[in-house]
Amino acid sequence: MTDPAASTAEPLASLAELELKAVLDAAVDAVVVIDAAGTIETFNRAAERLFGYSASELLGQNVALLMPEPHQSRHDAYLGHHLQTGQRKVIGRGREMTARRSDGTLFPIFLSVGRVTGPGKPRFVGLMSDISERRRVENAMRRERDRAQAYLDLAEVILLAVDREAKVTLINRKGSEIMGWEERDLLGRDWLETCVPEAQREAARHLHHLVVGDIAAPGQYSEHEVITRSGEHKLVAWRHSPLRDELGTVIGSLSSGEDITERRLAEESLRKSEQLLTDAQAIAGLGNFEIGLDHEHTYWSREMFHIIGMPSLQAPLPLAEFLDRHVHVADRERLETAWRRMVREDGEMDLGYRLVRADGHLRHVHSLARIAKDPQGRRQVTGTIHDVTESQQAQEEIRQAQERMTQFSRLSTMGEMAAGLAHEINQPLTAITNYSQALKRMLASSAEQDPEDIELALSQISAQALRAGEVIRRLRSFVKNREARTEPIAPSRLVSELLALVEPDARLNDIRLKVEMDDPLPDLTCDPVQIQQVLINLVRNAIDATNEANALDREVLLEVRRHDGDVVISVADHGPGISAEVAAHLGDPFYTTKSSGTGLGIAISRSILRAHGGKLGHRPTPGGGATVFFTLPVLSGREQ
Amino acid sequence: MKEKPATVFVVDDDEAVRTSLRLLLKSVGLPVETFESATTFLEQYDGNRAGCLVLDIRMPGMSGLDLQLALNERHSILPIVFITGHGDVPMAVEAMQAGAVDFIQKPFRDQDLIDRINRGLTKDGEMREALRARDDIRVRISELTPREREVLDLVTAGKANKVIAGDLNVSQRTVEIHRARVMEKMNANSLAHLVRMVIEAQRED
Repeated sequence: MTDPAASTAEPLASLAELELKAVLDAAVDAVVVIDAAGTIETFNRAAERLFGYSASELLGQNVALLMPEPHQSRHDAYLGHHLQTGQRKVIGRGREMTARRSDGTLFPIFLSVGRVTGPGKPRFVGLMSDISERRRVENAMRRERDRAQAYLDLAEVILLAVDREAKVTLINRKGSEIMGWEERDLLGRDWLETCVPEAQREAARHLHHLVVGDIAAPGQYSEHEVITRSGEHKLVAWRHSPLRDELGTVIGSLSSGEDITERRLAEESLRKSEQLLTDAQAIAGLGNFEIGLDHEHTYWSREMFHIIGMPSLQAPLPLAEFLDRHVHVADRERLETAWRRMVREDGEMDLGYRLVRADGHLRHVHSLARIAKDPQGRRQVTGTIHDVTESQQAQEEIRQAQERMTQFSRLSTMGEMAAGLAHEINQPLTAITNYSQALKRMLASSAEQDPEDIELALSQISAQALRAGEVIRRLRSFVKNREARTEPIAPSRLVSELLALVEPDARLNDIRLKVEMDDPLPDLTCDPVQIQQVLINLVRNAIDATNEANALDREVLLEVRRHDGDVVISVADHGPGISAEVAAHLGDPFYTTKSSGTGLGIAISRSILRAHGGKLGHRPTPGGGATVFFTLPVLSGREQ
Repeated sequence: MKEKPATVFVVDDDEAVRTSLRLLLKSVGLPVETFESATTFLEQYDGNRAGCLVLDIRMPGMSGLDLQLALNERHSILPIVFITGHGDVPMAVEAMQAGAVDFIQKPFRDQDLIDRINRGLTKDGEMREALRARDDIRVRISELTPREREVLDLVTAGKANKVIAGDLNVSQRTVEIHRARVMEKMNANSLAHLVRMVIEAQRED
């Protein structure tokens, strides 16, 4: 679009000038020549296209016209400054600037300026090209890069690009964060030398060669440590892919890495705690299980298999099969009932049963279970099985030993009371003998007999036989080998049965047994025989104490009182009392102050009372002597 | 005054034993009275009544042994048959030392008890007879004049009439007359009989 008129404006142009003009007009870049004052001398075709002015319009105009403010008004000053000082800010360098078209629009240009030095004032040549397109592409690219970088930075993994020589070309924010390096400090460094510990460097290098050699699998996995700027080692799980240029040539590798140090530590500690749990379960003989209620799920711990005697590699058995094969037939229904109740009531199960091992051996297990929710909110039974065979046996042995001891103590107490009891049986026997002999004589006599006498003798014979029988029954029920059992009993009955056993003894020792009871009293829930055993011990001790002191007050007072939530039963004597020395040893097994005592009475009484939730104590009797008392808790709802 | 017949007194705290004894003794025709405690018996018993005490050795409060001692303090001659239980031997020994007639262990054959009671009754009868005889002698001695009393003492001391006459400063003849009156009043057959009566009269209970 060259204006032909412009080319003919200088008819006197030399050939060189013509050549120059042709060059100028052919040039793709805009060329503008100004003089030292900024006045435009040359304005080529490309400049015309670029700025929208014709050369004729601009020749002789100040070049500032082509600039936006503030350069427009300052350009003369720039030029003056240069001419005055010789300082070059633009000349010989080229720079990007903003230019102004004839229609006022602004656009980016690349400007390079040359100074024409010759005779006279200097002139300046400006070469300008429109870089709008380049800017646009650059901006788009920058935006693209920024967006990509933002993605990279968002990623919670290390993103690392290296070139074929393993020099870092990119690392995202997470990566620099983990490595402790600024991105710019790391760029261009040899990744393997800088960031991989020596011990793992060769392996990492080998892998790098595989990736850039394009012979690694896509997304090749590796785990190796990195060393941070502060020297800390971190374990990273990597995925590597080759990085290609447009032609598909591998120019490096792109790796994503996840810091798995924490996870590995957690995994390690999880593995350790699982091992610990397994070991602990094995040591304790405690297995655990989970059984899904809303879904198919059965889990048995290794020890669970072990207790059952199954190899732990096997699958756990379904519940029904477990019941059928491994629960003792006599316990099956009990277990099923407890299980169903737990499931129905969303409750718990606490049950002991016999387990039949795979080898047929019987084990005693104690199982605790309850309903729980799995992480998905589904109901499941979670529970434990504890092999208590050994402790059960030990407990059983202790229980038996205790029972034998209690029994022994009862028998020995009875031995001590034998004289009184023999007397108690002797009385009715004597009466029976007398009555029957009297009858015999009456029958043999020819004299008239009083029928009332015969009636009396006969009825008394049976009454006295029953009386003797009753003493023997009480005695038997007291010394009989028996299981401990608890039942509710009225204190009055407890005491009256006790008196049948201890009163003969008291009488024999010329001691009055006085009984005082609160009225009303609640029922006691206890093993009556065991509590009587305690009371007999206390009464006998009181009798012995009275004898020992040869006390004038030969009365033993048995009191049954209500006190708070307890019933307190006390036995008071007027003997010598309990010295501090004796009190210190009271209840020590085999400690006795009597010449013929076993030293078990108080010890066994204590253990009986402990089993009943009661306790034994003593205090002085007012006026001298000892009062020994014990408490028995009253169960609520048993009030009479 | 008409004396009550010899009675068996039964003291036992056990009602069955007590009643059965009453019936047994009644069946052999022995008069029986029963008491439920030593104290009751002590309160009610008249020491002059003949009989035999059947006593339970063990009783609450006042025991059989206590009762025996109380009776001894009252100079009772009532024979005691103790009824004992098994293992009461030490107490039975104590009772025998304190003068009991016998003891019997429960339960017993009726005949054994009855034999012991009869023995007691016999002894009681004899004792009461002896006591009556002694009382008789004492009455007779008390009826002698003072001079006759002096002669009795000297004669029973074994002195000859001549010596007595010298001692009393009377004639030998006078001594002989007093002596004859003493023999007559004392109802003595011989000097030996007289001496026995004086010794008997001097005996303490």
